[in-house]
Amino acid sequence: MSQTTVAVERSPRRGRGIGPAVPAMLLLALFFIIPVFSLLLRSVTEPELGLQNYGELFATSTYARVFFNTFMVATVVTAVTLIIAYPVAWLLAIMPQRHANLVMAVILISMWTNLLARTYAWMVLLQRTGVINTTLMKLGLISEPLALVKNLTGVTIGMTYIMLPFVILPLYATIRAIDPSTLQAAALCGAGRWQAFRRVLLPLSAPGAAAGGLMVFVMSLGYFVTPALLGGASNMMLAEMIAQLVQSLLNWGLGSAAAFVLLVVTLAIYALQIRFFGGMR
Amino acid sequence: MIRPILLSAALSIGAAMSAGAQDMVFTSWGGTTQDGQAQSWAAPFTAATGIKVLQDGPTDYGKLKAMVESGNVSWDVVDVEYDFAIAAAKMGLLEPIDYSVVDRASIDPRFATDYAVGSFYYSFVIGYNKDVLKVTPQTWADVFDTAKFPGKRTFYKWSAPGVLELALLADGVAAADLYPLDLDRAFAKLDTIKSDIIWWGGGAESQQLLASGEAPLGMFWNGRIFAIQQGGGNVGVSWEQNLTAADVLVVPKGAKHKEAAMKFLAEATSAAAQAKFATVTGYAPINVNSKAEMDAAVVASLPDSHTESQINLDMNYWADNRDEIASRWYSWQAQ
Repeated sequence: MSQTTVAVERSPRRGRGIGPAVPAMLLLALFFIIPVFSLLLRSVTEPELGLQNYGELFATSTYARVFFNTFMVATVVTAVTLIIAYPVAWLLAIMPQRHANLVMAVILISMWTNLLARTYAWMVLLQRTGVINTTLMKLGLISEPLALVKNLTGVTIGMTYIMLPFVILPLYATIRAIDPSTLQAAALCGAGRWQAFRRVLLPLSAPGAAAGGLMVFVMSLGYFVTPALLGGASNMMLAEMIAQLVQSLLNWGLGSAAAFVLLVVTLAIYALQIRFFGGMR
Repeated sequence: MIRPILLSAALSIGAAMSAGAQDMVFTSWGGTTQDGQAQSWAAPFTAATGIKVLQDGPTDYGKLKAMVESGNVSWDVVDVEYDFAIAAAKMGLLEPIDYSVVDRASIDPRFATDYAVGSFYYSFVIGYNKDVLKVTPQTWADVFDTAKFPGKRTFYKWSAPGVLELALLADGVAAADLYPLDLDRAFAKLDTIKSDIIWWGGGAESQQLLASGEAPLGMFWNGRIFAIQQGGGNVGVSWEQNLTAADVLVVPKGAKHKEAAMKFLAEATSAAAQAKFATVTGYAPINVNSKAEMDAAVVASLPDSHTESQINLDMNYWADNRDEIASRWYSWQAQ
């Protein structure tokens, strides 16, 4: 695909290539770029002209903490998701197609189930009087219920579960495209399984992992429902804070500033990804 | 009363976006409360006037402000928290209530202002799970006593009248000396049990926490305890130092069906409609004549019947200090 792009760019008739994209670009301009611009404008004009909203955002320890929470949760969720997704994608790639389709269907069905329903289900499972704690206590494995929800643990579990398909799918695609004979060659050269994974499979599948990981990281940065329900008051993330500023406190200037910072950070991460991995494949 | 955040993210109901000439739009917080409002107020109103009432929700203060600012107001009557109504009136977001249509004389004067008229009122009460607790908590001081009542306790999550007041009461402040709130003292008191607090963001969540025993005691809207009891849940309630607050109905500035909206307010605040709503939800009527039309057993379960140690939360104080308290509240919570 990247080759096609290159070919188009080199073509002398490149200008005509934009034609079919005009409707999409208009749509983006109308419903994304203009609103984003007015958002930016609000952040420097409300309640008065100036950068005081950004000043407040960076100077207040609460907001700094919320930024920290957001990046920490996104990082932890991305890492855990990648670790769990690798074996699944690998198994999917080497399974007989029939079985792989079945497993894939299970993954996709969970992805299409209502987000709120899934999050509430985790609440029921994880709470102090929930299924997991009651079972463990009945088995005598623990004497006190574990704190699995309304904290960082709950957010990580819930979000990792929701994000898994977004890593498994691209990873599966890249791993499947890897020629199995490269692994055979590694084995023939005396590489153990771990070494083959680390030195052959991992580098070859890195673009898929990077694409999936980036998607998860960026989605996690702006995530809302799951952290709000499974996290505690001290785990507040940016999206929840913005919603609070805009909906309840009517502090649109500050809310816009926070939203704009989030957008800039997201774009910066995307730019880094393009630079190091050549964009999504 | 349930905060909009989760609901609006999850279910943005756009049903009422295009009301016809003979229709109007009523916006509230969803759930059993709005069901009660639709059934007790809107249905008889439509039957009497022929004006259809489209239900929208949940209430979202940001949306309300955006509508008024853009001049494209699609909501005609909105159920909001009382302190917000006072602040919104000052910001010029509301139409004055037309008291030539709405009968001010029959409305409890606590809940009638130039820009808002009562929707219903409720109390924050102490609720406890009888299956879990052997001793019953009586006062807010008991709720803070983790030695006597081990386990989690649950409080309202958002910056709003209630939690700070009950912390001060638990710390021994007399009801008469509550306002202006001693914020330092309130937060210091809350610090003593901070790790034992589970916050509830909406009524359904509070019911779930209490009924499951996840948090065997805490503060609740009286209507939610009523709902658990109606459903057969083994929960008790203490009305000691119950704290009253109210939801009010407002008409956003520039509402397209202002005339219909005022007529709707007249119906919604009438003795009969208020009596019916109170019977369905367990929240108290704001019309002083409603109780005469209600079942004695229901009247006994309302905040009105527990006035001995009752405290009215000061909405004017909150309207003036809303922003300042909110920023302290959320930074304290986040620590």
